[in-house]
Amino acid sequence: MAFLEVRDIVKSFGGLRALQDVSLSVEKGEIRAIIGPNGAGKSTLFNVMTGLLSPDSGEVRFDGERISGIPPYRVIRKGIGRSFQITNIFPRMSVFENVQVALFSHHRENRSALTLARNFREVTDEVLAVLGLVGLADKFDSSASVLSHGDQKRLEIAITLACRPRLLMLDEPTAGMSRFESRETIALLQKISREQGLTLVFTEHDMDIVFGISEKITVLQQGMVIADGEPAEIKANPEVRKAYLGEEIAE
Amino acid sequence: MTGFLDISFLTVQVLSALRLAAFLFLISSGLTLIFGVLNILNFAHGALYMLGAYFMFWVTSQVTGPGGFFLAMAMAPLGVALIGMILEMGLLRRIYIQEEIYQLLLTYALVLIIDDLAKIVFGAEYKSIPKPAFLEGAITLFGGTVPTYTILVVVIAPTVAALLWYLLYRTKTGKVIRATSSDREMADALGINMKALFTLVFAFGAVLAGFGGALAGPARTVFPGVGTEVIIECFVVVVIGGLGNLWGALVGSLLIGALETVGIIVFPEFEMGLIYLLMVAVLVVRPWGLFGKPLKIKALSEKNLSFESQEISPVHFSSRPWLWVIPVVLLLIFPAFAGRFYQYLLTQIFVAALMAVAFNLLLGTTGLLSFGQAAFFGVGAYTVGLLLTKTGTGTMPALGLSLFTSAVAASVIGFFCVRLTGVHFAMLTLAFGQLIFAIAFKWYGFTGGDNGIQGIPVREIPLAGLGLLDIGSTKSMYYFVLVVAGLAVAFLRRVRSSPFGATLKAIRENGQRASYLGINVTLYQWTAFVIAGTFTGLAGGLFALMERSISPEIIHWTKSADPVLMTIIGGIYTFVGPAVGAVVLIVLNSYIVAWTEYWALVLGMVLLLLVLLLPGGVIGFVNEKARDYLTRSGWIRRWLFSKSATS
Ligand SMILES: Nc1ncnc2c1ncn2[C@@H]1O[C@H](COP(=O)(O)OP(=O)(O)OP(=O)(O)O)[C@@H](O)[C@H]1O
Ligand SMILES: [Mg+2]
Repeated sequence: MAFLEVRDIVKSFGGLRALQDVSLSVEKGEIRAIIGPNGAGKSTLFNVMTGLLSPDSGEVRFDGERISGIPPYRVIRKGIGRSFQITNIFPRMSVFENVQVALFSHHRENRSALTLARNFREVTDEVLAVLGLVGLADKFDSSASVLSHGDQKRLEIAITLACRPRLLMLDEPTAGMSRFESRETIALLQKISREQGLTLVFTEHDMDIVFGISEKITVLQQGMVIADGEPAEIKANPEVRKAYLGEEIAE
Repeated sequence: MTGFLDISFLTVQVLSALRLAAFLFLISSGLTLIFGVLNILNFAHGALYMLGAYFMFWVTSQVTGPGGFFLAMAMAPLGVALIGMILEMGLLRRIYIQEEIYQLLLTYALVLIIDDLAKIVFGAEYKSIPKPAFLEGAITLFGGTVPTYTILVVVIAPTVAALLWYLLYRTKTGKVIRATSSDREMADALGINMKALFTLVFAFGAVLAGFGGALAGPARTVFPGVGTEVIIECFVVVVIGGLGNLWGALVGSLLIGALETVGIIVFPEFEMGLIYLLMVAVLVVRPWGLFGKPLKIKALSEKNLSFESQEISPVHFSSRPWLWVIPVVLLLIFPAFAGRFYQYLLTQIFVAALMAVAFNLLLGTTGLLSFGQAAFFGVGAYTVGLLLTKTGTGTMPALGLSLFTSAVAASVIGFFCVRLTGVHFAMLTLAFGQLIFAIAFKWYGFTGGDNGIQGIPVREIPLAGLGLLDIGSTKSMYYFVLVVAGLAVAFLRRVRSSPFGATLKAIRENGQRASYLGINVTLYQWTAFVIAGTFTGLAGGLFALMERSISPEIIHWTKSADPVLMTIIGGIYTFVGPAVGAVVLIVLNSYIVAWTEYWALVLGMVLLLLVLLLPGGVIGFVNEKARDYLTRSGWIRRWLFSKSATS
């Protein structure tokens, strides 16, 4: 069985079928893009896969275990990290604290109530290392809420990486970034997932990025998978071309 | 119980239930409308009701006769609407971006101010409003005698409800209002003038409250503070029905009207507790009320993020212990210089400070506004009081048991409450608190009912092999409370600066993101609730020892407001803030009460100014400046690197 298995997921909101029999499987170490026009159901799929929503039917398995229908905090503990399309950080905490609290949780140290947080020196070092990785080391003492949008996105990636996930799920990691920032961020993600042998599942609207780094691509449209395969196959697929009519893929 | 089968008896009871429901609906429909659109739970709504009744009183005293009565009935809602508009445009409008707590507090400050102003203008006594002769009598209906006025009320209220329905569902403005209350962004996108709309809705809510007051005034009486009684009942109504939902308000009013009427007949002993019991039951089964929907979580972009620099974060804390030595030494030598009055005053402050600091572990650190902390204070105080008076338990074991009982109470209550957030959480804690208050107030056999417990013996404490410690005198009690409360505060300080504390803070900032770090958010919230409740109970235990007498008043919800006020005065996002707030509140209280009887007015003004001008509180302001300075001088940076293991 694949590392990540999504089987026949159905999810409706009232009358709207946001996901219809979505299935996909991702191998360990793979870099997988999930693309589709606005409202295709990408974020909804992420929400179902990480426990924020329960599917109406179908299941999600990660490393052999069923993870659909259990709350996010337990999904995360199985080794999944997720970032959000709309930046999701701890605004009135410093950059340092944002990552620190993630590490406390990862090391299960957030239960210790009688030792001062600052005395966890290994954690302090790890925080600075993670921040160095994403290029935020200089800004560690500023409040997360005053960072630029790009920096906030990077901070969210740092928070997600701090928990040392085996599967990294990023919902539009470059949304709102400048072209230059996007390239940098993507290069970084590619490097990290190679180095650490991470499996990376991400959504993205920039097709250059998608075709540049992904090993496999799943295309969603109106809640259905219309194509699934290697970048070259996807590029050649007539249905995908139709869905993206007029967009850059039709070059 | 044959009485129930009697039709005349039934008629009388049903009509009295309907009358009560009519009053409740008039007031709470305005409350729920304002909440739906403005997202503000308006504490001052009860005060607006009171103003309506006073308008009625004033106009009928100027113009007598039936003409005056109906003139007053028309003028009162308009007068109250005018006041409502002034309040909205002058005050509320400034704090829409702030967090809930500031809006609640501002309207609470208005209650204090309006109540005392009413006292100044109309006097403290109960006023009754004359009815015209033709409404004075009673009629006979199915053999039961029903006051004519009741019939009037029972007819008018549904008329108003129908009118309200027409306005909201059939007019353009009404449709806009409903659209706004279900989807603010949509309304924004439609280019609706939100400012004007908010004022309109607030004024309209005020009309309903004012009309409720005008109609209820002649049937009940009016006095300063009547609004506070009314508003809590209305909170129960709208929370049961579902906040922001008009039909919820209607059903809630009918339920409460019926329950109170039945309660008076069947459980006269526990009538007051019944409505809170109903509220707890409804919220446990349906957390958002019968017709309510979960509130949308505010997006980060909608939040006010301006306080980030007030909390000098745990990693930034100075590790210079001598800074703490100074106040500790001062407190230790204080009794050498000050008389018993001041020693007693400070002892009171220690107890209040402990309660406030414990409370702020919930509000400031975890982001949960509990409005029922007095319950745990009461549980602790009654544990000590009962054990010492009724059994031979020693002082220390009794105090220890107060920790235990309040921890148990907090675990049970917390289990239900942490499933809710925001205003709903506050209201459920309030309901539980009032339930415990009702029990203490009525259970004469056990708690002494409204007499409380007097003459609590404070036994000497055996010190292993070192003789007995007598804490009977003011001075020794001062030291005893200082040590116990001081240790408890030091413990809470450590908890807050620990990884556990950092986790709570992350939950406050963004619960969803916290759960995506693998944190079981509700478990942590529950744990924080239990810790806060336990230490509040300890404060209660100390209070019982210090005062040697307790009464159910200490459990009343107004007592739960104390730690909230202290925290806001001192600084919500700081650790010592609540303690400083305790000093300010208690010192102000003991001096101002001696100087004027209008203590509430002064307090209300202080709160108002604070919310508007210094929302981070006194210590928040100081911290902000300190952190700016430390950041600019690069001290924080150097200090943090010096803490790293590799450097
Ligand atoms: N909580 C919800 N309630 C109701 N409808 C929803 C909810 N979440 C998503 N939807 C709807 O489901 C559909 C899929 O939305 P989703 O956010 O998954 O799309 P997406 O592919 O992520 O789009 P985008 O590229 O814009 O991020 C949309 O029509 C959206 O309006
Ligand atoms: Mg999306």
